[in-house]
Amino acid sequence: MLNFVIRRLAQIPLVMLVLSLIVIGLTQLLTPEQRAAPYIRSEQQATRMEAIINQYGLRDPFPQQYARWASSTLKGDLGFSRASGKDVNETIKERLPATVELTLVTAIPILLFGIWMGTLAALHKDRFLDQLIRVFVTIGYSVPTFVLGIVLLAVFYAYLGWAPGPGRLETMNEFLVGDYDLGGAKRITGMLSLDAALHGEWKITFDVLRHMMLPALTLITVLSASIVLVMRNNMLEVLNSDYVRTARAKGLAERIVNRKHARRNALLPIVTQGGLLVIGLLGGSIITETIFAYPGIGQWFVQSAQQLDLAGVMGFTLLSALLVVVMSTVVDILYGLVDPRVRFD
Amino acid sequence: MKKLLVLSSLLFAGAALAATPADTYVIQSAGDIPTLDPESAYDTASSGIIANLYETLVSYPGASLTKLEPRLATKWSITNNGKTYTFDLRKNVKFHNGDTFTCADAEYTFRRNLVINGGESGQWFLSEGLLGTPSNGKDDKSVTWAKISNAVKCNAAGQLVFTLPKVDPAFLAKLAFPGQAIVSKEYTTKLNDWSGTEKDWQSWAGKEMQGSDLSKKPNGTGPYRMVRQDANTMLFTAFDGYWGKKPSIKNVIRQKVPELAARQQALLRGDADRIEGASRTVDEAQIKGKPGITWVDDLPNTSAPAIFMNWNIKGKDYIGSGKLDGKGIPANFFTDVNVRRAFSYAFNYDQFAQDVYKGKATQRTMALPDSFPGYNAKVKKYEFDPKKAAEAFKKAWGGDVWKNGFVLNAAYRANTPTSQIALEILKKNVEAINPKFKINIQPKQWSDLLKERNAGELPMLFIGWAPDYADPDNFINTFYGSSGFYASGSAIKDAQIDAWNEQARTSVNATIRNNLYTKIGNRAYDQALYILMPAPVAWIFYSDRLSGEGLTKATYNPMTDLEWSGLTKK
Repeated sequence: MLNFVIRRLAQIPLVMLVLSLIVIGLTQLLTPEQRAAPYIRSEQQATRMEAIINQYGLRDPFPQQYARWASSTLKGDLGFSRASGKDVNETIKERLPATVELTLVTAIPILLFGIWMGTLAALHKDRFLDQLIRVFVTIGYSVPTFVLGIVLLAVFYAYLGWAPGPGRLETMNEFLVGDYDLGGAKRITGMLSLDAALHGEWKITFDVLRHMMLPALTLITVLSASIVLVMRNNMLEVLNSDYVRTARAKGLAERIVNRKHARRNALLPIVTQGGLLVIGLLGGSIITETIFAYPGIGQWFVQSAQQLDLAGVMGFTLLSALLVVVMSTVVDILYGLVDPRVRFD
Repeated sequence: MKKLLVLSSLLFAGAALAATPADTYVIQSAGDIPTLDPESAYDTASSGIIANLYETLVSYPGASLTKLEPRLATKWSITNNGKTYTFDLRKNVKFHNGDTFTCADAEYTFRRNLVINGGESGQWFLSEGLLGTPSNGKDDKSVTWAKISNAVKCNAAGQLVFTLPKVDPAFLAKLAFPGQAIVSKEYTTKLNDWSGTEKDWQSWAGKEMQGSDLSKKPNGTGPYRMVRQDANTMLFTAFDGYWGKKPSIKNVIRQKVPELAARQQALLRGDADRIEGASRTVDEAQIKGKPGITWVDDLPNTSAPAIFMNWNIKGKDYIGSGKLDGKGIPANFFTDVNVRRAFSYAFNYDQFAQDVYKGKATQRTMALPDSFPGYNAKVKKYEFDPKKAAEAFKKAWGGDVWKNGFVLNAAYRANTPTSQIALEILKKNVEAINPKFKINIQPKQWSDLLKERNAGELPMLFIGWAPDYADPDNFINTFYGSSGFYASGSAIKDAQIDAWNEQARTSVNATIRNNLYTKIGNRAYDQALYILMPAPVAWIFYSDRLSGEGLTKATYNPMTDLEWSGLTKK
């Protein structure tokens, strides 16, 4: 097991090297002028194009550009992200906790809801409840996240006034977070709801959670659909297997057969599915974060990509790579724990 | 299940109708603030914040674009035939961190701007005025420490003295640009910024400052100071030590909300006092006339849109056969004034104003905003007249244009409907005059367009200039001067205009300059140098709880950023 983990973690530098070569290599397909264009926001600055190209060394040969990026990265300096207006390290430190917070709030409900609905659908195969759940799955799959988010905002915020608007806090609570000193914010984990709770500011904690309602509801609706479907299919397969038939033949109660024998085995593929889900959520829910003005990693990535912010794109890429390797390792370990047939060799 | 219901009700409680308090002004915008370091600020979003945290030596009073009033300066004198500016500086002014403002801060600020003068900054025009070059010491070796330190220095009396290499009538107006806001020398140097001395000036030349420590921790003398900034939110509060009038609104919150629909709902529900809108069509449909909204229309707009016609087209892809044989155009097609006049008559100005701006646009007489000094409404302007266009085409190139026809390829910036519509209107009308006339229009990426325009490759292009400072030179020289900004792309050269322009650039007498600009305007009309597009009128909207300076027609100033200290909220 330990060897397996070490082997996996040893892959990280290699993955990052390959990824960085690919991403920086891809930018070389653009001319220096094309890479300088996002820096030019007005007619006036057009004459400064050459100055900008020189300033950022955009005409330098690829090895030189790559070496420049790599040497500062190895020193722990991922550069300045134009999209966030801050250093990449600082941006990740600021935004990742917000994304983690949203992941924590959504991942568990998505999994629990998906497992429960998938099980129900399988147990009521081809009956009304199953049809109803399949309609929900179809909606979850087919309605774009963007549309769903806007509809939820329009209904619950604009029309009914039940939910707060975009952002992370009520306007007046913004002033309660952090001290009245430049940069002297009282942050411990960066997860606002948790930090507020640690300071005993429950009002802030609830405000943050309220602001996460609509983004979470959007993500739960969209992402639980796939869990429901996988769970339903696995459950149906297991319910038709020999050992379930044997269990029933032995006279075990249907509830025990379903829970103990069928569902537990049907859950195995959900470990992988859940791992992928968490990786996706930690990578930032790009559309949801944008619609609800949620200050996470996903929103930053969109801005970086739109502005050809190489430092931002590279920072996000490396972070994603790290998350994928670590999370897939965790998933494999979990799989091994729940399925004794899997061996770490 | 019960617990879940209790939790749900707690979460929903208080969500409804949480309108903002009267002492807090809430702004919602779509994008980020690129920088809070004045040196590198060259966009409206950054300037809008900087103008409230920092102060310049001079600024515009109210809606005026012709007068400048003292801000951190108290008075100034212009001597040495307009080449020396001496400023008396305000006393008892504090920076947000408690430092006292002195001449050393002002001297450091301007030297820092000249030293760094980054590629993305607007310091090039300060450098042009003070050093005679738009470049920094890294790109132009004629820039030396001696030049920089002599251009701006404090005298023994504690006055700030600027020494210009030649007269620059726009110099005072340039000082009102938010990028010239004063920073604290002691505070900034402690942030590991430029030391203020010769020893490290070269290593700071052209440095990228958008993410500077000063940008992260701004420290000005303005009426508001920054409390906190995180990913999507910036908080400001009134600065207790401000030397001027105490603001009536204590707190300001600037939130980034990328989604337009969400911003609109926030404004309509009272969660925001001002938001970044969209186009006139969208704003009128979604916001205008709604309860709780104040809409102010017909405000001055300071952009100058036009279509240029290139006198020396260097792009072979754009001229087809390169001859007047009906399959292309010669590279010097637009040197014939009759061609230019024909195109000017062929453009339907009213239709463009209607299609793009719902009629809320005015056609100007010159490539200069009508609110600017030097503008003359009596200068003639072209009107849509297909008959006159046909007559001009018949005269062009000795009749060859009419006889053989032409194929012209024109480009516009991709995803800019305004320029696309303009070219489509021109194409439709020109092709209707003679079936042998053909215009192909094609979208181009911004980077390609910039490159080709700078290289003089494009035959015609929709352009729009927004001012850096409120002086006619920023437009007249840009559009009409043979060494102006657009000259590299349009190859326009008119000796008479150049002579008048040069006279205007070396005079500080407003009357003389205005007369010269009228002459330039008349000559530009006669020579049909540009197809001047109708310019849209501006509009603003905000919560009706808000009022104050800058929010009414009488006080709105298109050249200055809204000063929060002049606002009140009920």
